[in-house]
Amino acid sequence: MAVIELHDIVKTFGATRALDHLDLTVEQGEVHGFLGPNGSGKSTTIRVLLGLLRADSGSATILGGDPWRDAASLHRRLAYVPGDVSLWPNLTGGEVIDVLARMRGGLDEARRREMIERFELDPTKKARTYSKGNRQKVALVAALASRADLYLLDEPTSGLDPLMEAEFQEAVHEVRAEGATILLSSHILAEAEALSDRISIIRAGRVVQTGTLAELRHLTRTTVIAETERPPTPITAVPGVHEPVMHGNRVTFDVDSDHLDAAVAALAELGVRSLAAHPPTLEELFLHQYGEEVSA
Amino acid sequence: MSSAPVASSVAGVGHLLRLALRRDRVRLPLWVVGLGGTIVATAASIPPLYDTPEKVAGYARIVGSTPVSYLMSGRQVGLDTLGGIVANETSQVAQLGICLMVVFLVVRHTRAEEESGRAELLRSTVLGRHAATLAGLAYGLMAVLLISAITTVSMLAVGLDAVGSLTYGVGLALLGAVYTAITLVAVQLSTSARGALGLGVAAVAVGYLVRGLGAMEDNVLVWFSPFGWAQRMDAFGDERWWPALLLLATTALLLALAARLMAHRDFGGGLLQPRPGSARAGRALGTPFGVATRLQRGLLIGWAVGLFLLGMLYGSVIPSVPDLIASNPEMADFVGAGGQAAEDAIVDAFLAYMFLFMAVITCGFVVASVLRLRAEEEAGRTEVVLATPVSRTSWMAATTALALIAAVTLTVIMGLGLAVGYGLGSGEWDQVLRHVAGQLAYVPGTLVIGAFAAALFGLVPRATGVAWAAVALVALQVVLGEILRLPDAVQAISPFWHLAAVPLDDVELVPVLAELALTAALVAVGIWGYRRRDAVSG
Repeated sequence: MAVIELHDIVKTFGATRALDHLDLTVEQGEVHGFLGPNGSGKSTTIRVLLGLLRADSGSATILGGDPWRDAASLHRRLAYVPGDVSLWPNLTGGEVIDVLARMRGGLDEARRREMIERFELDPTKKARTYSKGNRQKVALVAALASRADLYLLDEPTSGLDPLMEAEFQEAVHEVRAEGATILLSSHILAEAEALSDRISIIRAGRVVQTGTLAELRHLTRTTVIAETERPPTPITAVPGVHEPVMHGNRVTFDVDSDHLDAAVAALAELGVRSLAAHPPTLEELFLHQYGEEVSA
Repeated sequence: MSSAPVASSVAGVGHLLRLALRRDRVRLPLWVVGLGGTIVATAASIPPLYDTPEKVAGYARIVGSTPVSYLMSGRQVGLDTLGGIVANETSQVAQLGICLMVVFLVVRHTRAEEESGRAELLRSTVLGRHAATLAGLAYGLMAVLLISAITTVSMLAVGLDAVGSLTYGVGLALLGAVYTAITLVAVQLSTSARGALGLGVAAVAVGYLVRGLGAMEDNVLVWFSPFGWAQRMDAFGDERWWPALLLLATTALLLALAARLMAHRDFGGGLLQPRPGSARAGRALGTPFGVATRLQRGLLIGWAVGLFLLGMLYGSVIPSVPDLIASNPEMADFVGAGGQAAEDAIVDAFLAYMFLFMAVITCGFVVASVLRLRAEEEAGRTEVVLATPVSRTSWMAATTALALIAAVTLTVIMGLGLAVGYGLGSGEWDQVLRHVAGQLAYVPGTLVIGAFAAALFGLVPRATGVAWAAVALVALQVVLGEILRLPDAVQAISPFWHLAAVPLDDVELVPVLAELALTAALVAVGIWGYRRRDAVSG
C-alpha cells in the first residue's frame, strides 16, 4: 500500500513553477530517498504533503487522506523535521520538544530520554543560543521521540557532525524496523545511499528517475580501470564503451551496464594484468542525470 | 585590542552606512514622509487658525495652560506668539516621533543584525570592532537631522521667527542625538533586538513622562529629562543655548559608555546574559493558547507594568487639575461662572482625553500581539506547529484570542493604575469603578484595530504592515484630528471617533455593539482567509 501518492502535482509561486507535474509514490514501510539539488522542489513537495501549501492541480494522498483537507487529523500520524529549523528563541530545547510532542498528541518518555542522550543535546539551553546543528537535533528528537507512522525528514542532517549523522542513521534504521515509513529528502548522496530502499530524483520540480538503487545503477555505467598485456586499443571499438582514456597499457573507461559483458570479454582477450571496476556512486548518477541536461 | 589604532577599529563604516541606506531605501523615506509630513501639516495648520491677536492671546490663556497640555507638551514659552503655539502643538509628535524613530532604526542596524547572524558575516570582512556602532550612530543622526531640518524649514515657511525656528530645530536634533546614544548603549546591554527595543522605548517613555510631570507641577523634575532640556532652550522666547550643552554632554558620555561596553563584550554577547531554563515544558505549554501565551509572556508583562505605571501617573495628576485651573485667573473666570459643575466638566474632559490617549496606546500592543502570527510564520516556526494535529483555525484563533483578551486585561490594568494614582494623589478611593469602567468604554476601538490586523494576516499576509498604518492613523486622529481639521470622513476611519467621550458623555450602546460585531466579523474573515491560503514561510 502506498503511504504517499502524488500524481501530476503542479505548484506555482507567481511566475515560478516550483512543482511541474510531479509524481511520487512512497510505499508502506520503506525509506524513500528524495534527492535533488537546491531549489529543485524537495521542500515544496514536503510542504504540499503537510498541507502547508495547496497544490494548483494534481492529486495528492498521504496516509489515505487529503493532505490539505485532512491536515490536522493526518498529522496525528506523522512527524516532520524541517530543513531549516527555526525555534522560539525564548523557549529551551526541552520545552520545544515537549510543546511539539504534546501538540502531536503525546510522546514516548523513554524515547525522549534516549534520543536526548544519543544526540548529546542540552535541553536546558534557550533555543536562541543553539547552533544550527543543535536546533536540528531538537527537531529530530521531537520527531523521533513520538511514534509516528510516517516521518517527513527534509535534509535532516545538514547541520550534524559525522558522529551525530551516524546516530541519526541508526535511529532511522530503528524506526523503519518498527514498520514506519520515511521520506528522506537530501542532497547528501552518501546518506541516501546508506539509508534508502528506493530513491526518487527530482529536478526542476519533476521526478526524473525513481527506483531502487540497483535499478538506478542498471540504467547507468560502470567505471572500469584495467591494465592489459597488449595495447588496449581494441576496447574502443566495443559498443557501449565511453570516454576511454589510455596511458600505455592502462585504460580507464565507462561502460553501459548492458554492455559490461562484452567489454570484459574484450579485455580478457588482451590479457588482463589488473582490473578494478566500481558501480556508479550516486554522485555519478547525479552527474549522469544532470550532466545530460548541461551538455544538451 | 584596546590599543588598536582608531582607524582600524572603525574600518568599513562607509560600507555599513551605505548598506543601511540601501536596506532602508523604503523604510527611511516612510519615516521622513510620515513624521516630517505630520510636522509640516501641523505647522501649516496653525497660522490660519490663529489669525488675529485675540485668538493668539486666547490660546495662551485657555489651551496652552491646561493640565493636559503641560503633561503632553510641557511648558512651552512664548505661547502668546504664533511661534510658541506652533512649537507647543508640534512638540508631542515631533519629540516622541524623532526619539522612537531613532530607537527603531538604530536597533535594526545594530543588535538586530548581530542577533540574526548577518553581522557575523560582515565582521569577517575588513570591518572594525566599533564600525557597526559608529555606522548606527551616523545613520541615526542622519535621520534626526533630516527630521529636524524639515521642522525648522516648515516653521520658517509659515513665517515664524528665524532664531526661534532654528533653536527649536537644534533642540529637536540634540534630543534625537541623546536617544541615538541611549539606544547604542541599550544594544550593548541586551543580547536580543527585542530587549534592546524594549530598553530604548522605555527610556523614551520615562524621559517624556518625567518632563510632563515636572511641567505639570512646575518643578525641578523637568531638568531630569532630555525632553525638558530641549524645551528649556526656550525657542520662541528668550532663546538660550546652554541647555544644548547638557544634551551634547549627555550624548558624548553615553557614546563613550557604549564604546566601552562594546570594547569589552563578545560578539553576540551582552551584559544581560540568558540563563539556562527548564528542561521540561510546564503543563500550560500543551495547547496553542498556552504556547501563544508563553511566547508573548515578556510582551504582556512589559505592557502591563508600563501601562499600570502610566495610568498611575495620569491618575495622580487628576486631583491637581482644579488647583491648576484656580491658579490661572483667566481659566478661573472662564470656569467660575459655572461653579463646581464647570470644574467637574473640565476634570471629566481631562479624564476623557486620558482614557482615549491610553486606549490608542493599547492599539500598539494589540497589533504587535496579533502580528506575532506573521512574525512566527515568516520565521518558519508556524510550519512545525501546523505539522502537528493543530489546525490553522485553532492556531490563529488562539493567538488572536490571546491578543484581544490581553487588550481587555491591559485596559482594566490601566484603569486600575489610574484609580490607584488618583487615590494616592487625593486620598479618595471611591473612584476605582468609575475609572476602570471609563477606560473600558474605549476598549471596543482597540479590539477593532486588533481584529483588523488579524484580517490582514489571513487575507493579505504581505500587507500586515497596513495594521501599523492604521495605528498611526488612529493616533493622528486622536492627537491632531481637531488641529488638522481632518474631514469627518477621514476621522470616521478611526473606531475611537464613534465612541462616546466617557465620562464627559454617557456610554452609547450602539457604536459599542457595532464595533464588537465588527471585531468578530474581521477575525472570522481573517481565519477564513488563513484556512484558504498557503502557509508560507519567508
